[in-house]
Amino acid sequence: MTTDTEDRKAEAGVWGALRQLPANVWSSVFRNPLPSTDLERASTSFTNFFLHIHPVKVHKNTLRPAYTLGLGLISLFLFLILIVTGVLLMFYYVPSTTQAYDRMLDLRGTVAFGIFLRNMHRWSAHAMVGVVFLHMCRVFLTGAYKKPREFNWVIGVVLLLATLFLSFTGYLLPWDQLAFWAITVGTSIAGYAPLVGKQMQFVLLGDTTVGQEALLRFYVLHVAVLPAVLVLLIAIHFWRIRKDGGLSRPEPSAPPAKPVVKVRMELQKKIYGLQGFVRGPFTKVGNVPDDSVYSWPNLLMAELFVFVLTVSVILVVSLAFSAPLEQPVNVMHPPNPAKAPWYFLGLQEMVSYSAFWGGIGIPTVFALLLLLAPYIDRNPKGVGRWFARERLLANTIFLTLAVLNVIFIIIGTFFRGPNWTFVSPF
Amino acid sequence: MRLALAIASFVVLIVHGVVFYDQFFHRWEQHQTAYFEQARSLSKNAGERAELEARAPRIEQIIVTSFGDTHVDRCTTCHMAADDPRFAGHAQPLKAHPYSAAMGDVLRNGNWERRHKFSDFGCTVCHDGQGRGLDNFHSHGEDEFWPEPLLGYVTQPNWRKDFEPHLKGKEYMEANCAQCHTGEDFAGTPNVNRGRKLFYAMNCYGCHKIDGMSEGTLGPDLTEVGKKFKIDYLWESIVEPRANLATSFMPKFNLSDADIRALVIFLKSRRGVNFAETTLDRYKAHIANVAVVIPPGTAGEKAGEQLIADRACTACHKLRDRDGGVAPDLSYEGLIRDDAWLMDHFKSPRARIPDSIMPTFRFPEEDFTRMSAYLETLKTPPAPASPAAAYHELCERCHGEKGDGNGKVAWYIDPSPRDFTKAAFMNSKPRERFVASIQSGVPGTSMPPWGHALKDDQVNAVLDYVLQTFTKEPRRELKPHKAPQQNPVASDAPSIARGESIFLERCTGCHGRKADGKGPNSLDILPHPRNLRNSWFVDKVSDNRLFDSILYGVQGTAMPPWIDYGLSQENVGDIVNFIRSLNPKSTRSQYARN
Amino acid sequence: MAVVSKSLDKEQDMPSRRVFSWLASMGLFGSAALAAVSDWLFFKPRVTYGPSARFAIGKPDDFPPGTRISRDVERVCIVREGNRLAAISTTCTHLGCIVGISDTGFSCPCHGSRYDQDGTVTGGPAPKPLPWFKVTLAPNGEIEVDKNAQVDPGTYFNV
Repeated sequence: MTTDTEDRKAEAGVWGALRQLPANVWSSVFRNPLPSTDLERASTSFTNFFLHIHPVKVHKNTLRPAYTLGLGLISLFLFLILIVTGVLLMFYYVPSTTQAYDRMLDLRGTVAFGIFLRNMHRWSAHAMVGVVFLHMCRVFLTGAYKKPREFNWVIGVVLLLATLFLSFTGYLLPWDQLAFWAITVGTSIAGYAPLVGKQMQFVLLGDTTVGQEALLRFYVLHVAVLPAVLVLLIAIHFWRIRKDGGLSRPEPSAPPAKPVVKVRMELQKKIYGLQGFVRGPFTKVGNVPDDSVYSWPNLLMAELFVFVLTVSVILVVSLAFSAPLEQPVNVMHPPNPAKAPWYFLGLQEMVSYSAFWGGIGIPTVFALLLLLAPYIDRNPKGVGRWFARERLLANTIFLTLAVLNVIFIIIGTFFRGPNWTFVSPF
Repeated sequence: MRLALAIASFVVLIVHGVVFYDQFFHRWEQHQTAYFEQARSLSKNAGERAELEARAPRIEQIIVTSFGDTHVDRCTTCHMAADDPRFAGHAQPLKAHPYSAAMGDVLRNGNWERRHKFSDFGCTVCHDGQGRGLDNFHSHGEDEFWPEPLLGYVTQPNWRKDFEPHLKGKEYMEANCAQCHTGEDFAGTPNVNRGRKLFYAMNCYGCHKIDGMSEGTLGPDLTEVGKKFKIDYLWESIVEPRANLATSFMPKFNLSDADIRALVIFLKSRRGVNFAETTLDRYKAHIANVAVVIPPGTAGEKAGEQLIADRACTACHKLRDRDGGVAPDLSYEGLIRDDAWLMDHFKSPRARIPDSIMPTFRFPEEDFTRMSAYLETLKTPPAPASPAAAYHELCERCHGEKGDGNGKVAWYIDPSPRDFTKAAFMNSKPRERFVASIQSGVPGTSMPPWGHALKDDQVNAVLDYVLQTFTKEPRRELKPHKAPQQNPVASDAPSIARGESIFLERCTGCHGRKADGKGPNSLDILPHPRNLRNSWFVDKVSDNRLFDSILYGVQGTAMPPWIDYGLSQENVGDIVNFIRSLNPKSTRSQYARN
Repeated sequence: MAVVSKSLDKEQDMPSRRVFSWLASMGLFGSAALAAVSDWLFFKPRVTYGPSARFAIGKPDDFPPGTRISRDVERVCIVREGNRLAAISTTCTHLGCIVGISDTGFSCPCHGSRYDQDGTVTGGPAPKPLPWFKVTLAPNGEIEVDKNAQVDPGTYFNV
């Protein structure tokens, strides 16, 4: 905005100000130019509120699609889609046992884009549960939970549980037979916990059975409490990624020639004072092996790409498939079989063998194993590569348990019929 | 990657466009515009035409709250001409709703006035369907998850195909008329009225309870069956009683399609709610009685005859020219049962035949006396020309024309009628036992003492006929079994306790934990395991026979010879004591005659 | 600099890259625009659950000539003069109370607004006259009042 000083002097006072208004408004909002030099590229990360979550430079490995598969980003974008569609749906939904189903009918029938928004919300929710699980698998199988990233892994596991709980609380809201009985089954499994099980179930449901209280509690959890928890934990999760020096990566194949680097650094590098104080192996400018690239535009483009991909897949799926809405709730008429939501079907399958061990015991053991994995496995080798040889044991155990869970879910979904007997899905 | 990004962005744009487009140009908008055009051409004044020209499609709805739930009916969004008499001859959906005097509409000065105004009633309270829907599939209730499809117009995809032709027809809507118009002879609901009469005439009321109409407890309560189930389920429950519950003993009544339809419409009208009724009305109906009017001064027996006809006993039994096909023939009742037996049986059929499915009718004692008196007059013995004719007249109804125990009513009788084709059984019992069974009957079962209707030589002739025609295989000499005549083990508390523990260990799989013959294996076995609490039966069985059956089994049935499984005579003695302890010896004999 | 950044090669100026970028931004901005419009359409309710704005009030014969009948539930007063009908709102334009019929027209019990027979303000704090609603004859012979359509005061409907 190089306005001629003489011009400015010439158009004095209010009239001049008005004529320059658009330019002045724009330049007061966007005070920095679109980057064209390295300095400007670097400065995007700290001159823009939304962009300053990114580091200035990011390791090339981070951007490799085959490394992360973009799963973390996909989870985040799905979460964003869920928030947007969820808030929109909140304008028409009423968490009352007498009104909820009718409101769902109206969302499907009369509200403009109602059916589409609902589809987007439901399929994003199912996708998020799946993608978050896959993201966890990726992080485990690339050994990216090792020191210094142990606590971030723990936050991640808590995020997984919170995601499952979010999906579970949302499942009840349509208040149809599918929702009601799935939640009845799910909360009954919770009741099997020793000592506190029944109390927990009572507090969760607000009553002894699923009813208006449960609907209200689940609604509040689903739209307020859990999203806030998730946002907080995601923020910490990202903060931690920055503090851990970015995503994990394999050790560089050749160690850097130290004296050469030092000389270069002295002569040619500008040391950014604050950054010099930051600890961590990779944040010192110039001391980085020659494998990093600027976030602007590389990381941003990658993120944009993943975003557009996620959105387009969700849009296409929402266009093609409609979310189910079954009969209105009939408390006297449980469906046979009554199945929990798909991500809990593995649990339900195990529960059919033993109520306590299948519903509480084994899942608790799994959760504890997950949470403590980085503290049990202290082998520092094998980070940053898929299926590293050094981590064969850990990877095998993890994969076995994960695949088992998936198999149980498949059995529970397709191979179980009335009275939970085996049926052929064909 | 940029290529992929570009393509993906465009996909996003296109999908947005498709979704956007999808939200406009709804079918209902087309219907509305069609209505505006047609109404314009029918219009007689310019002002109206101008208005129609300016009208834009919008969602029309009627909200009705006077019928319990809030009904939001958007049917008029497509059916715009529902209240426009000019469209009487048009095609749906722009057809005017018909007027008729039957619906209470009044013709005044050449114009019809609707009795059931749409603004007061909406649409779904009479037609069912989904009021909130805005497309055919959902609003007509074609979605199988919608509990109330358009009555009589729509069938859902998961309904049985063979029922579909029966389930269509405007008369099904009478079920909804009856929500308010509950009068027994209301002219607008002929099918409901007929169904109600059938409910009594076919004796449904004996087993099923409907608030204000009946008190039966053997079958499910039908007070709200119309609210709970769709018409395909109701139809199926009548034509195939065991379709949804394999152990149901509801008879498969012989009804015509028209009768079944009337019954279904009647049952569909049972929604537990009557919008036109006050709470006091409902309470009063609850305590009403089902009364049959006997003209005063009628002789006891004549009265009994009328009662039997009015109470629809022949919905199950056979008498004279009527036959329900479910229960035994009453034509010779005076010969084979005495008054005491009949009175006991009337007051509670299970007092005489413990596994009977006959409902307990709560008629006044006086009615029972009269009916008994009438039945006792049926004393004419049959006059069969031959043993085959005798079998056909007296035995075939239960034992079947092939003698395999599969007679017309066999399914409803417990214990099941004997299968004569089982040579293993027939040839393992002494002839005297069969003669005794025919002559004196088998107490506690439906086998009556035919000795009162047949002479001794006739009895033997029929037995020979049965053995030759059905059993066929000649008798072979039997090895005598070592079974004591009397139980050698004393019947004291320790013996009974031992017997009970052996019983619980060995016998409950078939005979059940309560020794009532309803063990988990019993469903798959024919003949069913014996109900060992059938006192009438057990008291008349000798110790010898009990020992024989337990130790050596019963050939031709699933009762194994327990001597092969390690039971000793002492064990069996304990078991017999236990069984006897379940059945105190009755002092009254099965029949007092002769 | 030790690190070479991957930057937009404006110098190279490959046309396909331009096209792709253009397509991508068109796609995204277009979708954003469509989404914005969709949001507006989404928020504007297509149905409300209260009493209908357009309703039937009876047959013409229910309103004898020369009568003024007020219906409090629907908040409308039906005026019949000879063979002409009008529907005047009975919601006071001051703060929304229901006005009653008086000898001289209408009067509001809340703050003393006064209207004449045609709904024009003659006294009190009311800022505007009582609106007149459109009256039509439905095909089934009933009179319909549409509170969403106002007509100029003095516009009657002929029956």
